[in-house]
Amino acid sequence: MNPKNVEPRQFSLRDRLDKSWFWPVGIAGAFSAFVTAAFRTPPGARPAPREPGAAAGRLGSQSGKPAQSPGKLERKYALTAVLGGTSSADPFRRSLVGIDVGTDDRIFALGDEEVRIYGAGGKVVGRWQAPAKAGCLTAGPGGSVCVGAGNFVEIYDAGGARLGGFAAGDAKAPARITAIKTYGKEILVADADARIIRRYDRSGRQLGVIGTQSKTGSFILPNKSLDFDVDAKGVVRATDTGRHQVTAWTIDGAPLGRFGKFGMANPEDFVGCCNPVNLAIAPDGRIVTAEKMISRVKVYEPDGKLLAVIGPENFDPECIHIHLALDSKGRILAADPVRREIKIFSLAAKTGNESPGGLHPPADGQLYEVTRG
Amino acid sequence: MSEKSTRRQFIDRSCRIIGFAAIGGAAGLLTHRVSGNAVYQVDPAKCTACDLCRTSCVLSFSAVKAVNQFDKCGYCMLCPAYFDVNSAPNERGIPSGKVCPQDALKRRVVGKVDEEDPNNNYYEYTIDETRCDGCGKCVKACKPPMGNGSLRLEIRYARCVECNECAIMIACPALAILRVPVPGISPARSAEEGKHA
Repeated sequence: MNPKNVEPRQFSLRDRLDKSWFWPVGIAGAFSAFVTAAFRTPPGARPAPREPGAAAGRLGSQSGKPAQSPGKLERKYALTAVLGGTSSADPFRRSLVGIDVGTDDRIFALGDEEVRIYGAGGKVVGRWQAPAKAGCLTAGPGGSVCVGAGNFVEIYDAGGARLGGFAAGDAKAPARITAIKTYGKEILVADADARIIRRYDRSGRQLGVIGTQSKTGSFILPNKSLDFDVDAKGVVRATDTGRHQVTAWTIDGAPLGRFGKFGMANPEDFVGCCNPVNLAIAPDGRIVTAEKMISRVKVYEPDGKLLAVIGPENFDPECIHIHLALDSKGRILAADPVRREIKIFSLAAKTGNESPGGLHPPADGQLYEVTRG
Repeated sequence: MSEKSTRRQFIDRSCRIIGFAAIGGAAGLLTHRVSGNAVYQVDPAKCTACDLCRTSCVLSFSAVKAVNQFDKCGYCMLCPAYFDVNSAPNERGIPSGKVCPQDALKRRVVGKVDEEDPNNNYYEYTIDETRCDGCGKCVKACKPPMGNGSLRLEIRYARCVECNECAIMIACPALAILRVPVPGISPARSAEEGKHA
């Protein structure tokens, strides 16, 4: 039989398909089955039955339980002005980290990487660029301004010209400045890393420390921040957040006393893990504190008697700080760094045996009522 | 005849290409998964500590655990993640209740110990992972402004069984479970490995 005469075999379509794609596809299928089997949910492991209501936000807030009503307090404060808010001509767009009141009640604010000066009527009358990492400022004597930035203190004149500066802390342990104040010719800085207050002259020579004469040798600062103020007599009041106390010291660092304790129900107490977070001394010697967790501002007698509460409805609940300052008339300036606005509260009413001097009713006549959200 | 042959050849070629592509793709996927350089993990910035990590994990005892980042921790005496600060205070003014229902958050005094005044002490907080079920109550309580935000939830690789599709990732309303490349870290390869912890 001549092979040339043999008619080529006609493969059926089935035969051809069997030969061409059945095996690749078959292998692919088997391989896919193997992969699926290798990565499927382990046998026996079934999702636990979902609890009814198990969803985001089911858990109650730690601060959900309202604190006790402050009841009858001796003072009431009214909100009289807001500076730097989103609706203002000069809003803080990125940050608001510090505030102080200088001579002639001019307001110095630190935010948006600049020092901003507000004059009468809340108009911005001056501004200059702040140093990098600027985190606090104070208005010093003669119109000077000191800015704490990282471990550096920068000193400016009233127009923003740099007069000098120095590094705070030790070479091996630079300070982390979270608050700065002046007392006479001295510059005091809160070093949150060393958990003490350091005193310097204007050349940067350290004159002493405050806070070491205690059982632990330093403040206890779980929130890693220290705030303080110094009055005209040289009494330093500082936050001791871990102990939930306001402490008093002489300028030489001798302890004078302390008040405050933890408590969630009594408004006189300080809430949460670490409060008060900010502090300022009023011209009449009374102490103004700010708290986080329940964002509120409170006014105390120097012995710790609560006089007033400016409630959380005035501040963003996410505030970790509310920076405080007071002007010569005793108005409280509270800088909310989350909403980036400075709120000014004036004393609207007071009872008891206090002298009537210093009463500044709000311009709009609206009395601020202490309420809880 | 030639037309028929061309069509058949086309079908042949197409089928071969599809078949080999399927094999290649599956092999690539397998290689990628076996290489173990990508794992499921919780993004702490997105996590709301909603409790779904505890209830959604395919393991009866979730692979998600709380961890404490010590450099952020305040070592508080009154840690809001440890104490239920809203519970009634005891005779020393310290809250009587705890946040963790499993009592998995443990603490010990570090540094100098003051027996008389606990306010003078620093406390180190650690998680007992044999008790932690990943409910996230402590994480929620530690979030700013209440705490420093040092506590966060993490998927523990030793427990994670690397499901094809992570059940927690499917359930998470905040899209906080991510597939992240972590070179050198190999997730547990089987349910058996996951069961040991």
